[in-house]
Amino acid sequence: MSQQTIARQRAAVRAVGARPARRRRTGIVRLPKAGMLFVAPAFLFVAVFVLFPLGFAIYMSVTNWPLIGSYHFTGASNYAALGKDPGFIHSVLFTLLYTGIVTIPILVVGYGLAVLVRSNRRGSVFLRTAFFLPYVVGLPTLELQPNSGAVNFVLAKLGLTNGATAWLVNTNLALAATCILVIWFASGFTMVLLLGGMQSISEDLYESADVAGARWWQKELHITLPLLRPTIALSLIISIIGSFLAFNQFFILTQGGPGTSTFTVVMWIYQTAFVQLHVGAAAAMSVVLVAVVGLISAVQFLLLRNNT
Amino acid sequence: MPAATASERRRTRALLLLSALATAAGLAGCATTAPTAVKVTSPGFGDNATGVVQFWDRSTTSPFGKLIVDRFNATHKNLKVVLTPVQDTQYVTKLATAIRAGDPPDLVGIDDINSQLFIYHNVFTDLTPLVNALPEKDTLSPGALNLTTENGHYYGTPYVADMSVLWYNKTLFRRAGLNPDKPPASYAQILSDARKINALGHGIYGFSFAGRCEGCLGFTILPDIWATHEDLLNGQPGHETAFIEGNVPLRQTLTLYRQLWADGLADPISQVETGATWGLNFLAGKIGMMPLGYGPMATAPPSFRDQVGMTLFPAPSGGATATFDGGANFGIPTGAANPSGAWEFIKFALQQAQQSLAPSAGFEPVRNDVLTPQFRAKYPFVAAMLENLSRGHAPKTIVYNTTFNQPGGPWLNMFTEAVFGGNVAAAIRTGQGAFSTAIDLGKS
Repeated sequence: MSQQTIARQRAAVRAVGARPARRRRTGIVRLPKAGMLFVAPAFLFVAVFVLFPLGFAIYMSVTNWPLIGSYHFTGASNYAALGKDPGFIHSVLFTLLYTGIVTIPILVVGYGLAVLVRSNRRGSVFLRTAFFLPYVVGLPTLELQPNSGAVNFVLAKLGLTNGATAWLVNTNLALAATCILVIWFASGFTMVLLLGGMQSISEDLYESADVAGARWWQKELHITLPLLRPTIALSLIISIIGSFLAFNQFFILTQGGPGTSTFTVVMWIYQTAFVQLHVGAAAAMSVVLVAVVGLISAVQFLLLRNNT
Repeated sequence: MPAATASERRRTRALLLLSALATAAGLAGCATTAPTAVKVTSPGFGDNATGVVQFWDRSTTSPFGKLIVDRFNATHKNLKVVLTPVQDTQYVTKLATAIRAGDPPDLVGIDDINSQLFIYHNVFTDLTPLVNALPEKDTLSPGALNLTTENGHYYGTPYVADMSVLWYNKTLFRRAGLNPDKPPASYAQILSDARKINALGHGIYGFSFAGRCEGCLGFTILPDIWATHEDLLNGQPGHETAFIEGNVPLRQTLTLYRQLWADGLADPISQVETGATWGLNFLAGKIGMMPLGYGPMATAPPSFRDQVGMTLFPAPSGGATATFDGGANFGIPTGAANPSGAWEFIKFALQQAQQSLAPSAGFEPVRNDVLTPQFRAKYPFVAAMLENLSRGHAPKTIVYNTTFNQPGGPWLNMFTEAVFGGNVAAAIRTGQGAFSTAIDLGKS
């Protein structure tokens, strides 16, 4: 840094009344207090709405905290019990199965939709809106109950069923129906993410490829996909985290049924906390889930960083 | 990395100390503190109260709640009641969360079967002197009142009754060659009558039920078992045990429903009915027999009501009947902001004039002195139900919600496996363990 720059910096800091930054012998410059004050509101927000609740959840997880009544310290017994809770284990396995089923189709369908709407042809704006609309409207309207909800209504009008199909009497049918609806619902959001990435790729590269006589699939493979890798990685991270935290789609569409066969981890946590009234045990499950999701996100970010 | 200076160390220590203090303050704030006990015997309690009463009613019973709240607000200038319907399956959760947060409603209209859960945890106000002073106390439903008691103290009052019965279509009975004045009195007769009605064809079925509605199934099937003086839950509140394996009436009941389903005697919608359209097929005149509450009949046209009859639920071999003494009870949570206003509203709601409105909303009054000749003429079915109040039963337990009233709970799982899965014995074996687990979790 030049002497002029240092002098201008000192003058600017003096102008806002803050103590000037002192250059230490090692060359590290300490942040002025003004900077700390600017980030204070954001830090406070994170502290109040993220750090404190997380800390409190950890505290609850080492007690037998009930929803009604008093509590006492129980140590790590809630964590030890997780491995013996068949409901929790089943919910973990089911969540992994569900994540494995929907992640790639959401990405592939989202990519396909983005390819379809990325040009600025006539109708592109309408199509983008139409494809994103399911994500905005949400799942409650879809309902899988016979004689109610959009799914059976549409199928009946198309003449494919009588409108009274019992989607939820069989686990595989319930899972398949829910996965199809979720892929339809979530692809629009993936489309928007990938579209943003595609539109940031310079047109010059495609023009050069055209001059070289490349076909569309060659441009896709050798230009779009490599340059879109960070965006694809981001979409995957968001999709996988979303699947691990799946709740609304199963709470609304299947209520965890038939029986408890379509309970996801978050649904089981909800069941434990608010139906069985065992908030302490549910907090332990939540802490484990946070750790697992954090680990997966860290690994994915690491891979993303290595690939850029 | 350079060593921290003294001021940096002081700042770090200050930040850590502040964080620790904030955490301690937060934890202390979140810890349970007992709310101040309400002095229900203080002069003027429940008379000429002012302000607002926050009243949480079950969504099921809120149509009746709205009628009496509107009447109350129209006649009380200084005290207003604000009614909030709460979805039945989430009522316990939301109320428990509100109490834990120190922000409970002033008054609850809770499913009477869940009263004990909150009384057991000492979060309902002791209303004993007030209840004893009620002039209508001896006319109140004994079953519902029993659910508000613990160790001789009253922690609530009955609010509105909802009893279950077996409805049958007399027109279809006649067409099937059955005696329309002789409803089924045993399982053998239910099956036999269902077969004859089914034979009419043209989309007519002998029976129907809500196979995916755990609450509906408990409401309409448990009385069959209670008629034999057996139950699925034994023991006092907090000390319950499950009686599933070896429970003969339970096995007979599941076998009946399995046979109704397997032989095609039940409407196919029975497998997926969640309660959202419960009773509509019966009101359409397509079903011979259907267990239900009074609600759907309240909305049926008089011409249809003239075609139906009702009976209580028979024991498997006949000779006895029973009904579910359901509905809702009042309770005033400890920590309520306006308990005096809440009690004033309770007294109003229990008056004959208000209780007489219950049938128009699809329910029954909780006091039997409404049975005037005019009332009997206007509501013959409700009058018949009230006359059978002594055959009503509702289990006094703190684990009904976790065992019977949850999707994915042991009751619905057992019923589904037995009736739709076809394996009654296996369902009962699995059910014993599942019920025991749910009871242990509900008690701990």
